Amino acid sequence: MSSYLHLNFSVLYWLVVGPFQKQPVKLRHVFEQIIRIGVEALPMAGLTAFSIGLTLAMQASHELGKLGANIYVPNLVAVSLLRELGPLLIGVIVIGRSGSAVTAELGTMRVSEEIEALGVMDINPVRFLVVPRFLAMLIMLPVLTVFGNYLGMVGGWSICRFALDMNTAGYIMRSVESAQLADLYSGLCKSFVFAWLIITIACHAGLRVEGGAEGVGVATTQSVVHSLLAILIANAVLTSLFFFF
Amino acid sequence: MSIAPAVESTEVPKAESEPVIEVCDLYKELGGRMVTNGVTLKVYRGDTMIIMGGSGCGKSTLLRQIIGAIKPTSGSIKIFGEEITGMSETEMGRISRRFGMLFQSGALLQSMTVGENVALPIMEHSEVDEEIAELIVKMKLELVGLTGFEDLKPAEISGGMKKRVALARALALDPELLFSDEPTSGLDPVMTAVVDQLTTDLTRKLGMTAVVVTHDMTSAFRIGTKMIMLGTGLMQGKIIAEGTPQEILKNPDPMLQQFIKGEADGPIPLRLSKGDYLKRLLGTN
Repeated sequence: MSSYLHLNFSVLYWLVVGPFQKQPVKLRHVFEQIIRIGVEALPMAGLTAFSIGLTLAMQASHELGKLGANIYVPNLVAVSLLRELGPLLIGVIVIGRSGSAVTAELGTMRVSEEIEALGVMDINPVRFLVVPRFLAMLIMLPVLTVFGNYLGMVGGWSICRFALDMNTAGYIMRSVESAQLADLYSGLCKSFVFAWLIITIACHAGLRVEGGAEGVGVATTQSVVHSLLAILIANAVLTSLFFFF
Repeated sequence: MSIAPAVESTEVPKAESEPVIEVCDLYKELGGRMVTNGVTLKVYRGDTMIIMGGSGCGKSTLLRQIIGAIKPTSGSIKIFGEEITGMSETEMGRISRRFGMLFQSGALLQSMTVGENVALPIMEHSEVDEEIAELIVKMKLELVGLTGFEDLKPAEISGGMKKRVALARALALDPELLFSDEPTSGLDPVMTAVVDQLTTDLTRKLGMTAVVVTHDMTSAFRIGTKMIMLGTGLMQGKIIAEGTPQEILKNPDPMLQQFIKGEADGPIPLRLSKGDYLKRLLGTN
């Protein structure tokens, strides 16, 4: 735990103090990671969000239809995606896809002496490897979440339009009316916190790998499990903060 | 294949000059075993110090303590006259920019091309333009005979080539001191000679200092100006012989002679465990 906090501090240290010591984080490395962590996750995140929007609309109309309130389906889809399901599901997808990859990559680098070699060349591994991934994740998870929210609403629309005979303009109107900006912001705030947790846990697990290929496997499993638990707990805490205050 | 020292020992006495590396009474305990047991050594400028010894005698551990990658249990290590045990990371960084290290596995960054790997220390630690860095990379790759391989990934070249790229990277910033862990393992005889020649040129002509851990006796006698041998078994982690190549060849220690001649029969035990083999095999002791 203390080494995890230490990693967090040194990430912040290199972000803030690094540029003044002529050791800034190279933008090129950040963009490389943005592509690997974020852009390459777009199809998967989009597909997941679309299918969730679709199922949400179907399940909602199943109950709301009994009350003749199918007109509220867009509201339910929009609000639940923006506030809850968007950030959480995209977070889970990114843990499985990018968090695990980061742990496995850093772990393999540690096993093959690459991280030790960086140290001997006086290149700090946190500055060189962790900070670019950290920035990329902090930028890309909220971006993926917004993207997922939209595709989820498209999923909801496809049910409303083709199965519930609602027109497109009506769907958009009701979605926009029901969802407040505050809903979007609370969701983005969550995804920002999730991004921080996911990437620091993944890097921490990767940098501490001991003992060959087996160690990399163990660390990757641990990273995924710990990240999932961390974002689920953080989600509950944040939701209650928004709910009560 | 004869083993003969390449240079006659005509070295000027270096007692008055400050040693580049000075290790004093170094001890390191790992998992209840003394892996480094009271090692004391001095390496002077322009020397090539060879560290020999059987597998598991603590050669690599000794090297990793000297480069500051692991902390010794007790003892002192001075590099360029500065005590490095207990040094902070920043201070150690200042020292480590002055030396290069060639890892046994090469330790190239797999995500970068050969050229980017060699350019890495240059781009991180100097303010040169990319064009100049590219030029330096080409020169260093030329030194190890790998011109034109800049754009390949480490996964696309052979083990011996990786080693030579790693050597080019270690030499990228023209270090005053070069550490090599098994520089010639995995190289063919011609490339071994090329790498040996390179080390000799750099040390004899440019005054670089080298510390080389090796099993390859031909190469060791070709490049070494000083040698130490670490013991195994009961002498684990202790220096059992040291001196110039001539002194090592004349040293009567049977363990040393067995090692440098590479004979299967001799005082070096095949098994590290003691006791009756049959009893141990049947699990009755």
